[in-house]
Amino acid sequence: MLELKHELKLGKTRDEKARMNFVSGLRAHVLNDLASGMRAVWESQGEPDFRRRTGRAPKDGPEVHKAIKPSEYFRFYSSLRVTAQDMVWQSVFPALDRGRDGLRKQAAALETRTGLGSLTLKPDLEVPRSVSAIDVHLMAGNYDGEYDEGDLTAGSLYDNGLAVFSFGLMGQNLDDIGQSIAGFIRAKYPQFKPKKILDLGCTIGHNTGPWKDHFPEAEVHGIDVAAPCLRYGHARAQAQGRDIHFHQMNAEALEFPDASFDVVFSSMFLHEVPRKGIEKILAEAHRVLKPGGLMIHMELPPNSQLSPYDAFYLDWDSAYNNEPFYKPFRDLKPADLCRHAGFKAAQYVQFVVPSVGWYGSEVLKEAASHQQDVDSDKTGRLTDGVLWYCFGAWK
Amino acid sequence: MTHTRKPLRRTIRGGRPFFFADPAIDKILNMVVTLGSEVWALRERLAAVEAIQERQGSLAAGEVDAFEFSPAQEARLAADRKEFIENLFRVLQEQVDAAPSRAVRSSAPAAAAPKGGAVFGARGSRRSPPAPSRAQAAAKAKTVAKAKTRAVAKRKR
Repeated sequence: MLELKHELKLGKTRDEKARMNFVSGLRAHVLNDLASGMRAVWESQGEPDFRRRTGRAPKDGPEVHKAIKPSEYFRFYSSLRVTAQDMVWQSVFPALDRGRDGLRKQAAALETRTGLGSLTLKPDLEVPRSVSAIDVHLMAGNYDGEYDEGDLTAGSLYDNGLAVFSFGLMGQNLDDIGQSIAGFIRAKYPQFKPKKILDLGCTIGHNTGPWKDHFPEAEVHGIDVAAPCLRYGHARAQAQGRDIHFHQMNAEALEFPDASFDVVFSSMFLHEVPRKGIEKILAEAHRVLKPGGLMIHMELPPNSQLSPYDAFYLDWDSAYNNEPFYKPFRDLKPADLCRHAGFKAAQYVQFVVPSVGWYGSEVLKEAASHQQDVDSDKTGRLTDGVLWYCFGAWK
Repeated sequence: MTHTRKPLRRTIRGGRPFFFADPAIDKILNMVVTLGSEVWALRERLAAVEAIQERQGSLAAGEVDAFEFSPAQEARLAADRKEFIENLFRVLQEQVDAAPSRAVRSSAPAAAAPKGGAVFGARGSRRSPPAPSRAQAAAKAKTVAKAKTRAVAKRKR
């Protein structure tokens, strides 16, 4: 299990660490070994059966899903994956319960000591039902659950849980996505010098910070609807010595003026929002971008660009991991979304970015020099050798 | 230690999916894996103890087998064991939390019972089979009681 490197990390007993190690190992086993096993079983039995029955190959993800569902391997893979997902958060709860009273004091001390960045909360902000009504990815309490005044619990659960969940693939600071994308943009567009950067749906700001690392001269802002994540994210940024401005705000109705940002970024965010919300978010991104600015969203790759099996594999979360908007998002075409939001079709961009933590910065720079194929069993999938997918447009 | 603070909610809103024809299989799988996690925790702990003892001097042969815990140590182990067992069967609590409000809630103080759904109001578990009705439960209890009476009578003979 990955140990968080900043001072807000929860104190854990020897046994708690061991349980977290176990869950990380279990997840790696399910997502690497069992996932390969399931594919092998599908290719050797499932797909030939399907062809015999129908006289053709499956045409999309849902057909693969329907055909594979009764198989015992799928059931064990799925049941173990749900168990592991649940155990990620369960492994954090005992340490969280002990440590949560101390978090507010630590946050207050960091504020006094560093005074870095800012935190602007809006207690009367209406939290959208896509956040308030469900526990996304089976995380009890979700991003916005509050237990006390000034609570940071949900942020801590997410940070410590992600460390267990990602089994190292999101980097030592859980910021591999941000480091990879920001590093890629810097390598690909060396003349581009953004002065103001905005991260939408930033939760604890783990992928916001890297933009400050790559563009230290820029003013970096992160917004989210969930106050406990923002409080924690602000303290976390301070603990890491980063100057970031956090705001409680809905990405569907930004409170920033027109043409005020050079970069509007998000990571793993749009797939947790219903379609109408996504459309509003992209339109808002277009509005707040300066001419010549870049909108860039790190996301799951669209179904239209994947094989039926890979489409099925990624859509698993939508059916079984409390991610109701995940498949509907992946069924959309990113280029169409950008065009509808007001971006010119010719200004559309999409990239497959190698994880900088896995492949190193040389491979990242090399990847910036050519376009990569999206259809791969590593694109957007938390597995060894992950490749991050992102799309967006220049204004 | 604050006893009045709200317990952390550990049950998932919206329930969990089941994959086998009988959801009990999924639940048992969860228990087996949880048990695996505890076994692993023991192994790591034991490895730590062995490493420490290697550093400080070795154990005498048979010393562990001959060892007796003090009453205070026994009491602590008993409390840990209770928590261990509760954790092992935590998945079953979800059905209790998802049951209608007349379901029995733990009467223990909030801080000692972190599994309730009281904070956010846990919902029914989407794909789990319906809980037995009161009448069914009463009928079952009656059958169990009768069987017990028969067993006692048999032993007496």
